[in-house]
Amino acid sequence: MSDQSAVNPDAVAQEDDSPPTGPRRVLIALYAVFALAATARGIVQIATKFDEAPVAYLLSLFSGLVYIAATVGLVTDRRWSRPLAWAAVGTEMVGVVTIGLASIFDSTAFPHDTVWSRFGAGYGYVPIILPVLGLMWLWQTRPQQKESAAAN
Amino acid sequence: MIQGLAIGVLSAGLLLGAWTGIQGWRRRPTTEAQMVGAIIVEAALLVQTVIAIVQLVGGRELAEPVTFVAYSVGILLPLPLGFYLARIERTRWGSLSLCFTAVVVAVMTLRLMQLWQAPVG
Repeated sequence: MSDQSAVNPDAVAQEDDSPPTGPRRVLIALYAVFALAATARGIVQIATKFDEAPVAYLLSLFSGLVYIAATVGLVTDRRWSRPLAWAAVGTEMVGVVTIGLASIFDSTAFPHDTVWSRFGAGYGYVPIILPVLGLMWLWQTRPQQKESAAAN
Repeated sequence: MIQGLAIGVLSAGLLLGAWTGIQGWRRRPTTEAQMVGAIIVEAALLVQTVIAIVQLVGGRELAEPVTFVAYSVGILLPLPLGFYLARIERTRWGSLSLCFTAVVVAVMTLRLMQLWQAPVG
């Protein structure tokens, strides 16, 4: 993706949604931080106390891998980048809703927290907002729309 | 960990977050001063991590030493990312990237303080 925004350092006059690179970079920051947080948490949990709650801790690690996949999909610009981002962010959305509901309705089955427990309450609810933002961005910047935007 | 330094880092992270957040709100890229601010906060984080590791090696007992070390090292990563994104993205979105990573650093510092003070055993 071309970096037109760098040409124009005085971005005050730019429209909110005109440079598609901008929101993507905020998403990269968000996803990279969560990739680090969830993966590190999963690894520490599995390394130090795996026997206590293997399912929850494997889930922690899985959520970390999903965040890594989403980050890679957002950072790279290959043919597979967009499908990877769709798949990862979609999985994340399903995961955070499923685990969020499960942890509330059946709290005994999920006594050990993961990033997605209680819709990510332990992380300021960012985990439930993040996939919504991700899907919105992927939808808004889908290829057809980019062509029509270029025609303007 | 030194409590005064930790509180200083926490405040600095929140301050930088608020400052760059306002900058993003006003649709402006980060200023030179904000980038310098990010470097100063990162330097303070580095000092804090080194002090904590030295204290750990020196025999300080912690309830969750592995988690503490993971946080101590992990806390060094978000700001360079935010800094890099703010440099290549000279729009409000760069400001918001740095804003988010600065807030993350403040939250992680809080968690570090909790882990440091958690009773052992």
